[in-house]
Amino acid sequence: MKVLATLLLSSAAILAQGGLNPASLLAPPTDTWPTYNGDYSGRRYSTLAKINQSNINSLSLAWVYRANGAPGGGSGGRISATPVEVNGILYFTMPDHVWAVDARTGREVWNFQWTPHGGEHIGNRGAGVYGSWLYFLTPDCNMVSLNLKDGKERWHKSICDLDQYYFGSMAPLVVGNHIITGVSGDDLDRPGYIESHDPETGALQWRWYVVPQKMGDPGSETWPNEEAMKHGGGMTWLTPTYDPELNMIYVPTGNPQPVIAGKARPGANLFTASVVALNPDTGKMQWYFQSSPHDTHDWDATQTPVLIDGEINGQKRKLVVQASRNGYFFVLDRATGKNISSSEYVKVNWSKGVDAKGSPILNPAKEPQLDGALVSPNQGGASNWPPPTYDPDTGLFYVSAARAFSVYYIYDPSDKPEGWGGNDRGGWSESMIQAIDYKTGKVKWSHKWEDGGRSGLLSTAGKLLFAGDGSGNLIALDPANGNPLWHANLGSSVTNGPITYELDGTQYLVVAAGDTLFAFAMLR
Amino acid sequence: MRSGICMAALLLAPVTCVAQSPAAARAAFQDVCGACHSVETVTSQRRTRAQWQDSINSMVARGAKGTDEQFALILDYLTRQYGPASPNDSGASPAAPAPAGRGRGAAYSPGPEDRQVIDEAAAIRGRKVYAAECITCHGTRARGTERGSDLVRSEIVLHDRYGSTIGPFLRQGHPAQTPVAQLTQAQLVDLSHTIHQEVYNTLRAALQIQNVLTGDPKAGAAYFNGEGKCSTCHSPTGDLVHIASRMDPPGLQQAFLFPGGRGGGRGGGRGVSAHPVTVTVTPASGTAITGTLVHIDDFNVALRDGAGEYHSFKRTPDLKVVKNDPAQTHHELLDKYTDKNIHDMVAYLETLK
Repeated sequence: MKVLATLLLSSAAILAQGGLNPASLLAPPTDTWPTYNGDYSGRRYSTLAKINQSNINSLSLAWVYRANGAPGGGSGGRISATPVEVNGILYFTMPDHVWAVDARTGREVWNFQWTPHGGEHIGNRGAGVYGSWLYFLTPDCNMVSLNLKDGKERWHKSICDLDQYYFGSMAPLVVGNHIITGVSGDDLDRPGYIESHDPETGALQWRWYVVPQKMGDPGSETWPNEEAMKHGGGMTWLTPTYDPELNMIYVPTGNPQPVIAGKARPGANLFTASVVALNPDTGKMQWYFQSSPHDTHDWDATQTPVLIDGEINGQKRKLVVQASRNGYFFVLDRATGKNISSSEYVKVNWSKGVDAKGSPILNPAKEPQLDGALVSPNQGGASNWPPPTYDPDTGLFYVSAARAFSVYYIYDPSDKPEGWGGNDRGGWSESMIQAIDYKTGKVKWSHKWEDGGRSGLLSTAGKLLFAGDGSGNLIALDPANGNPLWHANLGSSVTNGPITYELDGTQYLVVAAGDTLFAFAMLR
Repeated sequence: MRSGICMAALLLAPVTCVAQSPAAARAAFQDVCGACHSVETVTSQRRTRAQWQDSINSMVARGAKGTDEQFALILDYLTRQYGPASPNDSGASPAAPAPAGRGRGAAYSPGPEDRQVIDEAAAIRGRKVYAAECITCHGTRARGTERGSDLVRSEIVLHDRYGSTIGPFLRQGHPAQTPVAQLTQAQLVDLSHTIHQEVYNTLRAALQIQNVLTGDPKAGAAYFNGEGKCSTCHSPTGDLVHIASRMDPPGLQQAFLFPGGRGGGRGGGRGVSAHPVTVTVTPASGTAITGTLVHIDDFNVALRDGAGEYHSFKRTPDLKVVKNDPAQTHHELLDKYTDKNIHDMVAYLETLK
């Protein structure tokens, strides 16, 4: 527990500055939401129960904060960030922007605007906090550190090369004295990687490439040659989760490149579309599990790997589970990476079952074709980045899911397609919340939305599951059976993962819809 | 952010941006094209100026109404925003469901803001230099051969602007010192346009569907009249008459798979009039009301009846709501089609000229 000791030693000094006590990242108290997923497990479950099934109909709107005029969209942009809440202040991002807002009142404390030099502005997942400092990534490949108290820039460091069409969008993860950052971008064929930086200087501590860098390295046997491998993609779009006892971070990796036309990269293409365990101090790989060997459908595995301390066949197990974009729910032993179960959480039409390691076997007929192949799920996936939740009270894992069809085409039939070389088109889909029993992999209940919907989720000890539908409703469902208990229409669909915290005895629920943050509270 | 967008557009099209406001061009696009197309349907394509001109001509032939000035604005707009190397290169987002009307401005696309803007004429001149000096080793599409490296994936190329890194490399670093070291500065700039064009040609949506007409029309007819039960609702001499002269094969394929959708292909989804989803609502104490579904979620339902009146209801256990999606049979077929069925059906529909 060297990490914990270091954290505790440094916490007193940091508290005096009004920053984040790093120890709270290990066992978050209920008055803070100090990291992207609230805690390291990624389960997005809160022990708060002041808002609960018996009083949910008394929930009141506490405040609204509209992040007006931000770029990233013609109508003010979209908050896809999960805010972090430290010492009563919420910090959240949009591409090139950070806001600090009073968590009790929604009043702006400061805002920071980065002057961009290009890059994809599709979304930003949020900020990381270490001590008195905030860290976020910009579309033009910088990690920027700001002072929590006034939003003044402390420094910025390049984390990727914009000329290679990389960009920054993930919320940095803080583990001990490591600021862990990933890279986004799949327009050109570049290698994905994940890095660790010194929190004080931003200096690089380590970098781990998702694709092997030379033939002979582990995983290189799943590539035809070094050139295909080194351009083989595997972006690290999403914030990892972390087990302090095992000292492993769980990194979900992106799809291989070229994205759709995989002709020039025969093989499983490790370590793309996988969950990979790394040592956060060294960046050394501990194990991997591949969700989609040789993916050709843009089914990255960048969905949150959620840590569950659970039971399988009566035995206590340390698990990591993922509802992957390809439609499979995987249960793994998080110490070893060994697969415990693989099951479809929505019906898929591309798989011929699973292999001995638990990885699905791709039906070659359902690879993209010149004249089209009807595939389910579609490119958007059975799930995507919006964060799922695990509720230890019900033992169920909840995910915003879709059953969707589209036609996948090869556009570039040459021997060396590059970039995408194809795409999917059209589609029909239905959206739902799936409640999955991790012990069996079976869907215990399913709640279909009438009008689409794909939001992040939150579960609480108040026996509530918060979700958004496609009609702009924020909804509290009964986690036992999916029945809606309460709703409020926000005028725009939920665009992030809801969070909750308690300040001065009042429990708040904060959620983003479009360019606006809404806070609800039990005010009486 | 209008000023930001205009500034970025200036970089790409200095002349047109001064002459016309992007807002006016976008308005013309919305007015003329928006009547039939969603913005996303059109702008998920990437085409050259000539290709966009072809598209516009074909739309005029199909009855698109607009003034000459509007069509000129639209051509400029589409070429600037949705050309092969345009600022909006990315179609669907990779890690998120594509939000409709995301409306990212010109500055908010992948890659550096100051990336090279292709001068078509220079790229054509550069192609001659490329054919003479480079093609043997680097290949026709600059993706490398056994003799030479992949230029599209070269960091020297990706860092280059108008010859800034390609030039010095060819002068000093290239293994074949002459004759590439003797290229003139103008030739180097031309060559940089050619090579950057090849990079942009690998970007998503620079390419299109190739050929979906691979099936057996007879087998398609058999499916239409037999297993698929399509003839229950559709007729080649009725609603589908001349369907293939109204839609191209990709459009036909998308239209029967996903009716009412916004799939690809010329005229996608518009060959057959779309029937709206209807709903019948029966309150506990009242009579049933049927109409076109306006909105439905877990809590409310709204419809417009035959007289055009709008009705809104709170959903309660006592309120009976029955939705009728005329395309439900199509949705259910998605679990039944084989890919062969699909290709045969396209081949059959293509005979209905």
